[in-house]
Amino acid sequence: MLSEKSLEAIAFERSKYPPEESRSALLAALRIAQEEQGYLRDEVITYVANLLDLPPIQAFEVATFYTMYDLKPVGRHKFCVCGSVSCFLNGSDRMIRHLSERLGIGLGETTEDGLFTLQEVECLGACKDAPMLQLGDRYYENLTPESLDALIAELRGGSTDVR
Amino acid sequence: MPHIEIDGQSIEVAAGTTIMEAAESLGIYIPFFCYHPKLSVAANCRMCLVDVEKAPKPLPACATPVADGMKIATASRKAKMAQQGVLEFLLINHPLDCPICDQGGECPLQDITMGFANPHSHYQEEKRVVEDKDIGPLITTEMTRCIQCTRCVRFGQEIGGIKELGATGRGEHMAIGTYVAKAVQSELSGNMIDLCPVGALTSKPFRYKARSWELKHTPGICPHCSTGCNTDVQSLGKEVLRVLPRNHEAVNEQWICDKGRYAYTGLNAPDRVTQPLLRKADGEWAEVSWAEALEATLAGLEKLLARHGADKLAGLISGQSSNEELFLFQALLRGLGSPHLDHRLHQQDFRADAAMPLYPALNMTLEELEREPLIVLCHAFTRHQQPLTNHRLRKAVLNGGKVVSIDSIHQDFNFPVTQLVAEAGADSHLYQHLAEHFAHLHEAPQNDPLAVLARELAAADNPLILIGSALLHHPQAADLLAQVESIAELAGGRIGWLAEEANSAGAWLSGCVPQRGPGGHPLDAAGLPADAYWEAEMQGFILFGVEPGVDSMRGAEAVQRLANAEFVLSISHFAQEARQYADVILPMAAFAEGSGSYVNNEGRLQSFRAAVKLPGEARPGWKILRVLGDSLKLPDFQYSELSEVSAAWQHAVGDYGMDIPPFQAFPPIHAAQALPAGPLLRLGDWPIYQGDPLVRRAAPLHNPLRARMHPQQAHQSGIQGDVVEVSTAAGKVTLALELDTHIPLGCIWVPLGYSETAVLGAAYTPCSVVMAALPERQTKSLRAS
Ligand code: SF4
Ligand code: SF4
Ligand code: FES
Ligand code: FES
Repeated sequence: MLSEKSLEAIAFERSKYPPEESRSALLAALRIAQEEQGYLRDEVITYVANLLDLPPIQAFEVATFYTMYDLKPVGRHKFCVCGSVSCFLNGSDRMIRHLSERLGIGLGETTEDGLFTLQEVECLGACKDAPMLQLGDRYYENLTPESLDALIAELRGGSTDVR
Repeated sequence: MPHIEIDGQSIEVAAGTTIMEAAESLGIYIPFFCYHPKLSVAANCRMCLVDVEKAPKPLPACATPVADGMKIATASRKAKMAQQGVLEFLLINHPLDCPICDQGGECPLQDITMGFANPHSHYQEEKRVVEDKDIGPLITTEMTRCIQCTRCVRFGQEIGGIKELGATGRGEHMAIGTYVAKAVQSELSGNMIDLCPVGALTSKPFRYKARSWELKHTPGICPHCSTGCNTDVQSLGKEVLRVLPRNHEAVNEQWICDKGRYAYTGLNAPDRVTQPLLRKADGEWAEVSWAEALEATLAGLEKLLARHGADKLAGLISGQSSNEELFLFQALLRGLGSPHLDHRLHQQDFRADAAMPLYPALNMTLEELEREPLIVLCHAFTRHQQPLTNHRLRKAVLNGGKVVSIDSIHQDFNFPVTQLVAEAGADSHLYQHLAEHFAHLHEAPQNDPLAVLARELAAADNPLILIGSALLHHPQAADLLAQVESIAELAGGRIGWLAEEANSAGAWLSGCVPQRGPGGHPLDAAGLPADAYWEAEMQGFILFGVEPGVDSMRGAEAVQRLANAEFVLSISHFAQEARQYADVILPMAAFAEGSGSYVNNEGRLQSFRAAVKLPGEARPGWKILRVLGDSLKLPDFQYSELSEVSAAWQHAVGDYGMDIPPFQAFPPIHAAQALPAGPLLRLGDWPIYQGDPLVRRAAPLHNPLRARMHPQQAHQSGIQGDVVEVSTAAGKVTLALELDTHIPLGCIWVPLGYSETAVLGAAYTPCSVVMAALPERQTKSLRAS
């Protein structure tokens, strides 16, 4: 189900922990599986659980808890807009509404061209520059409707390195 | 030891005690949901918040260890505000559908809300709704009611031994379920219903049947295995509606298994007999009065005795019968002059009969089992045979002990077990090799698991060896028993027996074996054992609570003999099988309808009372036997009360110990012949829900019939697809096949206890297997819907 390379990576993560603590490698193993497959199908989650000798439900608990795991296909760019307290007080709602109108999708949805997914997440620890969102492995802070429009435009233009 | 004060009362408790436990010992009640004394502390419901002096915030009593000088208030303003706040939050998303909730009336959420909540809620917004999960035929889910206490989740992990339920999602989206819809597999799953503090998990068969306060409670003893769990049989009018565990720390703690919980659903099976049945001259069955049925019985027996003598009369009684019934049964048969009676229908090798102990005793208490450091299970799959004895073994492992299983197949234990599996049919070799390793303990290679076990056994101080029922079902049982005894001797260990049925111990003590009378007194003229009756061409049978067609090793042969016998009396709860061969069927009280006593695996004598009235004309088993004995003018049948029979039983059985010699002297056992060879070996045993007439009829417990085979073996035998035809010398049958690496190569596993597989005869016989297609005819099912 997973490539040799991913399996090796998972085995490496597994080797970091004592034999009876295979669950410690679960987060990493799910991440590796998702990187390879794009998102986590039920069968992939079960497969990863079996790899680590864990009850499948335990892997499902973890996979459904963290918003970083995608349980269905997502677009190329995933807007993870923080909706927790500081961001909320600073207008995260407006940002989400704005994105939603611009992209024509609701929370948890993906645009038809497969480019964008919109998601609300919990506090990402960048409260001092609220409101914020995460895109890939970068944070975008002090969001305004204008900065969002610019971001979308750049991404549509094909840029992969947006500041 | 810390000195603390709770609500002005001081107490000294051991360090590490929680506030909850300290309050409990003072008799002070602190409301709680997620806390459970048998589970780990999760402290996630916050219902138990208390006010601790100098602590800035209220603290959860269940998770806060006491500290010296702590002053705790459980009902101060601060504590009350905390309690009210928590309840208000819990109720935000609770549907408050008590009027249609089965938990209503026995619901901690309801009770605690009444006792501790502020009647006003600030919440005006929408409530969340959670989709219900289908987790099988035993448990109904109503997940909107769930308060996420995670007791059910912790139960699976910590008690059931398989984590099946989990909490998926987070925050407002957190929901309990299996995620991928599937039925829960644990044989202890029903306990989650009892643990769930709200109506999120309720009993499916009990759904909408009654309100809890309408039910009558009667103390019962579970009749489905030798653990002897204490139950609370709950009934409404004439119907048993629920069976719940009754706390007995020393036996079942506060659990029962699903077999004990749901088998009652078989009581309404369509073939339940409630009126005496008589086969008329034209072969048709007629419902008759007791007088007519008894007359026919007496006439039948008299004729039989006159024509063939008592030596052609045999009696078979179920190991689920009460001591009183067993005692009267042997008195009846022996009074009539027949030495042939037995309760061991599952067994096929009786060569070691003389060596058998007074009764199959664990030789220790169930609680002691938890502290054993090394336990060897000899052909004992306790998880399905004695689920709550198995729970003690699991605890032994959690306490750092080790369990090793020796068996014919790999078993699916719910705790770590080192498994040594015999090659196809070579069970005796396995034990023999183990014994041989003791001679050269230090030379044996490290990687030979048998050598490792021998070394561990030799090093252990008094290890425990438990003999399981599958060992007795083996065609070479006598050899295996002798081998186990010598291994125990070499290891300097003790032997305990895992008795098979609820009252196997009582059956031995009461003398329902052909070679011993009540109290285990050896008889001069021993009768024949159960499996011999078919070949010995018995002409008369008295059957008591058994269905030899599925309860005996060679079911088809049994039915044929019974059909050809001259007179068969079946004293039974169910008629379907008996109609094939009996002449008279007398309707007997079933589970929860009669009173009596059992001796469990520990040797504990436990009695139970009838919970409901007898249906129709059914009569308690002991009364039927008494009337028969009396009408046949046998001595000692003049009882009028059950207590008199119990007293007579006590007197005849005398004081039996709870720690008895596990074997008496072995007779010379002539080595059994090697198992006959064939293309494949047919293995099999009685599955968890096929072991007795009642549980076989419990629809919610139904397990589909499947043969099992190793995928590699299937490949070698050229089998593709999932249907096979299995043939033995006795007959053949077409079955669904499941590929399963638990089954050794060279074997196919075909369960016993199904009428469909009875034609194959005994287990451990050669067979051949070919691909097939399923027959058109739907297999008939006896189960109540
Ligand atoms: S289903 Fe019941 S036991 Fe399980 S978490 Fe919900 S309330 Fe607790
Ligand atoms: S463990 Fe045995 S005695 Fe206990 S409930 Fe289950 S079948 Fe009945
Ligand atoms: S609240 Fe949004 S980053 Fe912390
Ligand atoms: S009972 Fe203490 S937090 Fe739930």
